[in-house]
Amino acid sequence: MDEFQTGSESVEGVIGGSAYQHSRVSQWTSSVVEQSLSQLSKLGKPFKYIVTCIIMQKNGAGLQTASSCFWDNSTDGSCTVRWENNSMYCIVSVFGLAI
Amino acid sequence: MEEFHPGDEVSFNPDEASNSVKECIESIIGGEDYSQNKVNQWTANIVEHSLTQLVKQGKPYKYMVNCAVMQKSGAGLHTANSCYWDTATDGSCTVRWENRTMYCVVSVFAVAIAL
Repeated sequence: MDEFQTGSESVEGVIGGSAYQHSRVSQWTSSVVEQSLSQLSKLGKPFKYIVTCIIMQKNGAGLQTASSCFWDNSTDGSCTVRWENNSMYCIVSVFGLAI
Repeated sequence: MEEFHPGDEVSFNPDEASNSVKECIESIIGGEDYSQNKVNQWTANIVEHSLTQLVKQGKPYKYMVNCAVMQKSGAGLHTANSCYWDTATDGSCTVRWENRTMYCVVSVFAVAIAL
């Protein structure tokens, strides 16, 4: 799926070799969502997009996320990319809604 | 379910959505402590109930509700979202809730249906 590739590449590009840093995490999440969104809009498909990104420090805490969507099953969809390195987890979700 | 009348103003009301989501969260995890076995059904229930309340408003919208529940243990958590849509009709709101043992962050995205 194109969208999945876009999400993975954006995450790798922004935080690929870094360790969790409280002072930088804010700009990382913003960069990941912005880059993913611009790559998606370049695909030129007639869709509205919503991209969300969660970055969490690895500390033994439990994290659970869920999402529920009310849309048109035949045209709309979503995908989630889970990425990690040894100091943090990153979860990016992309929702695409047909216009 | 309310009828939609063409000609009504189509707009997303983030305050109303925010209140209804807060009530859902309170009713589901209000007095609870973080529990690994239950967290799965809590997040599922929160998104389902919130979605049902939103759809009951009867507006011509598609909705996405996203919920994250995290145990309080000193870890850092950061979330961000970015949307490519029609800013005149579409909107979102985020509700942050916490108790002694966990954080809960719920985001609602509403996208207008072109009629």
